[in-house]
Amino acid sequence: MQNKFRGVMQSPVTPLRDDFSLDLPTFERLLDFHVRVGAPAISWPHHKGESLNLTVEERKLFAEAAVKTVAGRVPVTIHVSALAVEDTMALARHAQAIGADGILAITPYFWTPTLEAIEAYFMRLCTSIDLPVLSYNSPSYLAGVEITGELMARLIETLPNFVGVKEASFNSEKFLEISRAALKLRPNFALLTGVEFLLPSVPLGGIGSYSAAGSICPNLCTELFDSCVTGEWTRARELQFKMTRLWHLFKDQYPSSLKGGMVIMGRSVGPTRAPLPTATPERQAYIRSQLEDLGILDSEPHGW
Amino acid sequence: MTFDPGLVHTPLTPFAPDRRVDFDRYGRSIEFHLCQGAQALAVPMHVGESVSLPDAEKRELLTFAVKTAAKRAPVIAHVSDAGTGIAAALARHAEAAGAAAIVATTPYYWTPPLAMILEHFFQIGAAVDIPFFVLNAPDDMAGIKINADLAMKLVARLPNFVGVVDASLDWQFMIELLTEAARLRPDFKLVAGTELMVSAGAIGATGMFSALAVIAPKLVRQLFDLCRQQKLFEARAAQEEIAALCQILKPGGIAALKAAARGLGRDYGDPRPPLLPLDGAAEKTLLAEIDVLPALAAEPRGW
Repeated sequence: MQNKFRGVMQSPVTPLRDDFSLDLPTFERLLDFHVRVGAPAISWPHHKGESLNLTVEERKLFAEAAVKTVAGRVPVTIHVSALAVEDTMALARHAQAIGADGILAITPYFWTPTLEAIEAYFMRLCTSIDLPVLSYNSPSYLAGVEITGELMARLIETLPNFVGVKEASFNSEKFLEISRAALKLRPNFALLTGVEFLLPSVPLGGIGSYSAAGSICPNLCTELFDSCVTGEWTRARELQFKMTRLWHLFKDQYPSSLKGGMVIMGRSVGPTRAPLPTATPERQAYIRSQLEDLGILDSEPHGW
Repeated sequence: MTFDPGLVHTPLTPFAPDRRVDFDRYGRSIEFHLCQGAQALAVPMHVGESVSLPDAEKRELLTFAVKTAAKRAPVIAHVSDAGTGIAAALARHAEAAGAAAIVATTPYYWTPPLAMILEHFFQIGAAVDIPFFVLNAPDDMAGIKINADLAMKLVARLPNFVGVVDASLDWQFMIELLTEAARLRPDFKLVAGTELMVSAGAIGATGMFSALAVIAPKLVRQLFDLCRQQKLFEARAAQEEIAALCQILKPGGIAALKAAARGLGRDYGDPRPPLLPLDGAAEKTLLAEIDVLPALAAEPRGW
């Protein structure tokens, strides 16, 4: 059975008003935009959605809006990672109650937990709900804390709803370690890269990614994925290199640069909450020059 | 200037019981690699215990390898050292001895600022007229790595800087490197520093350094050829078999490689101190684990 979490899945930013409060109408418009331009799934709020700068109540409010607005057109997963594990559990239960299609959870923040503690955490999370759970592996942002291939295998063997991973190491050895452990036990396990590194992952069993740049260049996301799964490697290489230039552009001051880029694409989503900066007019001008250089302004949709 | 090394075998260095280099076996080892699909040799890499060889021995070993290879395949000389001047002198010797290219990594022990790492590489590369590769091996070098910016600064200064051998396995670095290089030196080469070639090959690596070729040369060649032909989906099975072999050998490092080679009838003796050989029980377990790998059944026994 094909996994429903595949392709370049979009994780919307969180639109804010000038006073930094949540901008619900723009969020609904953004969700609708992503679905209309080809997102195979929606997931909110990733770090790009400023998850850790939102209160738990705000997260619940927008999660509900996401499920309602997408209205079953594509699957919606909720990112439930929070500083306090008890908040994570509450967000997971809430996601199930509002009818989300799954949840995503990173290894716990700050505490640099042992492998046993990570295992206990995912055991508790997965058994507390019936929804599919996607894990999130990001050792470079979490002081080296990661899910090893061996732990991945134990979780898959024990938990029927442990269905995939967002892998953000971007490293051949790490990806292969996880793909070998996971796909042997669960061939339809969703092996996804954290952002659009599809070219090096699809030949090893990857079936998609989450998206950094999808609110800027949805067409590029689709073309890159299609060229990888059909094995058109020369074309895929050209598109991957272009996508990686965008990743380097946006990962600097992520996601404020992305929000700055969205202004240029005619899809303003407001400022970024502190401690992250908001893209200055100078930064936006630089982003515009880069988007022009990459041909994005001509090849991607403008406005909503 | 360009240099496409293809599949590069990185031989082990055999030692006699008295810890001297065993040149008789080294000669057999070079013949083995040349007969088993090596398109080039790189000696002595870290897996060849380069850091445990005094300067004079390194030179003797390289001269011997060039003579034995007798132009059947190019020999790349590994010239890394802590001191820039020492490494540059090794590079000059390598060129005089007939090496086809040199390769060097960041300085041992020191953690100089990037500007001095650039200077280190510049002086090594400028010491010779033959092609020069930089080896990016953060796992071997306490996390010290190069970035694309440094590589491009070196491209601008060194006409013989032809490529990077990457053992970082970092997709972001590899893509950034080739993106930048395409503007400044379009025939710049990305060479995979390990046998994890599928992702590197997808990104654009055209060469591969292989230490595992001493254990599974047929499998290594199969993987390399498929990647080089851009048959990346087809290469996945060989890549996974290589990964299974790596998983068994990696914890024991060079001692495990030597033990496995001995089990296959190619005795390189023990590693030099400070490395220790595997103890009897560990060697037995290792050989039993390797023995059940289906991919190993077709691999050659003996020299």
